[in-house]
Amino acid sequence: MSPLGLLSPGEKAEIMAINTKKGCGLGINKDQCGHIEDIGLRVGKTVEMLNNGGGGPILLRVDESRIALARGMAMRIMVEREVL
Amino acid sequence: MSLNPAQKYPDTIPAIDTGKVMGLKRPLTLAVAGNPNAGKSTLINALAGTRLQVGNWPGVTVEKKSASFEANGRKIHLIDLPGTYSLSPYTQEEIVARDYLVQEKPDVIIDVVDVTNLERNLYLTIQLLELGLPLVMALNVYDEALQKGYVVDIKGMEKMLGIRVIPTVATKKTGLDELLAAVTELADHPLPRSLKILRYDQDIESAAAVVAGHIQADHPQLAEKYPVRWLSFKFMEGDEQIIEETGLTPDDAAVTQAVDHLIKAHDSDIESIMADARYSLAAGLTQEVLKKPELRKIELTEKIDRIVLNRWLGIPIFLGAMWLMFKLTFDVSKPLADWLTAVTTGPGKRWAAALIALLHGPDWTASLVTDGIMAGVGSVLVFVPVIFAMMFFITFLEGSGYMARAAFVMDRAMHSIGLHGKSFIPMLLGFGCNVPAIYATRTLENTRDKALTALLVPLMSCGARLPVYIVFIGAFFAAHAGTVLWSVYVFGIGLAILMGLIFKRTLFRGEAPMFIMELPPYRMPSFRSLMIHTWEKGKHFLIKAGTYILAVSVLVWFLLNLPWGVTQKQDSYLGRLGQAVAPIFKPLGFGTWEASSALISGLVAKEIVVGTMGEIYVKRAEEEKKAAPPTLTEDLKEIGTSLVMALRNSATNVFSSFAPSSLSTAEDESRAGLKTAIQHTFTPLSAYAFILFVLLYMPCAVVAIAMRQEFGTWKWFGIAFGYQMVLAWTVAFVVYQGGRLVGLG
Repeated sequence: MSPLGLLSPGEKAEIMAINTKKGCGLGINKDQCGHIEDIGLRVGKTVEMLNNGGGGPILLRVDESRIALARGMAMRIMVEREVL
Repeated sequence: MSLNPAQKYPDTIPAIDTGKVMGLKRPLTLAVAGNPNAGKSTLINALAGTRLQVGNWPGVTVEKKSASFEANGRKIHLIDLPGTYSLSPYTQEEIVARDYLVQEKPDVIIDVVDVTNLERNLYLTIQLLELGLPLVMALNVYDEALQKGYVVDIKGMEKMLGIRVIPTVATKKTGLDELLAAVTELADHPLPRSLKILRYDQDIESAAAVVAGHIQADHPQLAEKYPVRWLSFKFMEGDEQIIEETGLTPDDAAVTQAVDHLIKAHDSDIESIMADARYSLAAGLTQEVLKKPELRKIELTEKIDRIVLNRWLGIPIFLGAMWLMFKLTFDVSKPLADWLTAVTTGPGKRWAAALIALLHGPDWTASLVTDGIMAGVGSVLVFVPVIFAMMFFITFLEGSGYMARAAFVMDRAMHSIGLHGKSFIPMLLGFGCNVPAIYATRTLENTRDKALTALLVPLMSCGARLPVYIVFIGAFFAAHAGTVLWSVYVFGIGLAILMGLIFKRTLFRGEAPMFIMELPPYRMPSFRSLMIHTWEKGKHFLIKAGTYILAVSVLVWFLLNLPWGVTQKQDSYLGRLGQAVAPIFKPLGFGTWEASSALISGLVAKEIVVGTMGEIYVKRAEEEKKAAPPTLTEDLKEIGTSLVMALRNSATNVFSSFAPSSLSTAEDESRAGLKTAIQHTFTPLSAYAFILFVLLYMPCAVVAIAMRQEFGTWKWFGIAFGYQMVLAWTVAFVVYQGGRLVGLG
């Protein structure tokens, strides 16, 4: 398992765990509870890294939508790389 | 649960397909729900056509589209709900959508689903079905799905969800008749079996049953008002808004026990348990009904994104796009603005004066109308073309999908000042007008982001400040107009960064927000939707010009002409007020009563600064030129031909040289008097200090009202007012005194 934020563009991976603070199900803080899952990122989902350029946010493909995600959050999502 | 429409309207006449036979049928209210970017807007446009009305949901700035029309001989009222990913109350959009559905109970929900993101869309569908309202699914972008090689088992979906599923292609208007037929059918024929209920796993269902039992026994009035199953889930999830709204508290031991048991069994918190349950259902359904091809083509959007979001090219492309937007805005609008100035100051004034003379109005009324109202409002009206042009380009950037990319590209830079990329959009809107920019902070999820963004927005130089710059730049820096103007905007941005850093360390300590956002596919926005949204945005400015600025123009005129019979403007109320505060501005290089009076009137709206100066200096200007007035026909001919010229110029400007030349061209006659007067009282250095002061001092009164509305308190406006006054004075002081020290001015 590795953090989502370390995937290279073009790599696909399955989400294994979303590590968040206790007391809030899905987000990093109370305001973002639920938002990650609502937008389609959940355990068991396969995602593709589209853009991972240095310090900024990353861009993922989830089904046919493109989701931009803060790097800090991406580092707390653990994934299993898809073996090609 | 009795949510079946037949019971709501027992007199509905059953059966028979064609509506015409029955004559009058009850009108239907349809709510259109769905994910953002699922094609909701296109579907509504296709259904409603020109009957579409755009407004806001009451109390919030979430856009509300609605339309009334007739189909198959019956009246249909269509309401567009904001695009949401779920019905949990985290964003304004979600709250609006959910409140509408729960409180208004539309006859049928049309759930617009994007087949290419079926799982995520079904997650919302499942939540909609919890409400127990009749629902028809529009399986949108169906053609694209087929093209991509998707195989969708529509019959299977209908069976599993217990609803009708109609494939549609909103962009090509296919499937719409079938959709409306299914909707009316469902409204007229309550389902033969009871509405199918999607069951979650046993633990959840039994806990919900306990809660539902408690609600029905102890709160029968709530069971009437809300769908009980849905309310039970919300209560279990500890949904704060619902608990507050209903006054429900877990006073029943059985309820707390049931929920606790659930939490223990799943070893997780209740929100996650519910979300997981819904997602499992959505994922399971998707697997059953959707077959995707193994290979997938790379889409155009992804190809464009590779360039536009490139690590090295992203920011240069973004800056280039901004530059092009500003350039086009001014090139298109300048000739039209010049034409408007010419008309209002020339023939407009003459006609008004002639009309008043004809009515035998006293001299002072003529002066009030021409020097007060027409000069004041006229000087603002000339910015209508600029504002609308800029709103048009901003709307285009939004509609095309680029705005979301701008947020992505700018996220890193914004992070350094404690904000994330999404905050960049309100900031960008601020260049057009700060008022819609303040309202746009709605799109941010928490108060911290909203407040910090709103505090920085006024440093983005809005269109209303432009008139001041243009007059002063025209008078002193005509040769380098573009560069000087650019420097003012950059100055504002630089100070926004500085203030952001300061605020981040003082008022807004704590964890920086996280960025999560969907980037929509690129598309060409339709002309009609561009027009509608440009109008929606620009309207604020027109209303402002028509109300506040008109009122202030009149007030300023009176302040300038009272006490009665005052001959020297210096002795008028405004002049005296200006004199009183002038010493404050003395160290900044513009301690004259004229400048001070103009700045005071500009507290209401910065456009007025120029208007007031125009009124103060108008006498001097008039003495400079006296010519025989042209006749009415000459006037009309002139207006007509000059409009044609202006339109031609704005068209050709777009294609002509790409240097910022248009700003320095055409010294218009009407302003010549004002410019000469300014040249007498300012030096280039004090003029620049004045420009910076205008850039930075208090946002206008409308922004104050907007901030009050957004935050429900004057606190944030108070902070903005205080820090901006200090900042404006300090910056102007440093520039002026510093400039003098190094021998400028």
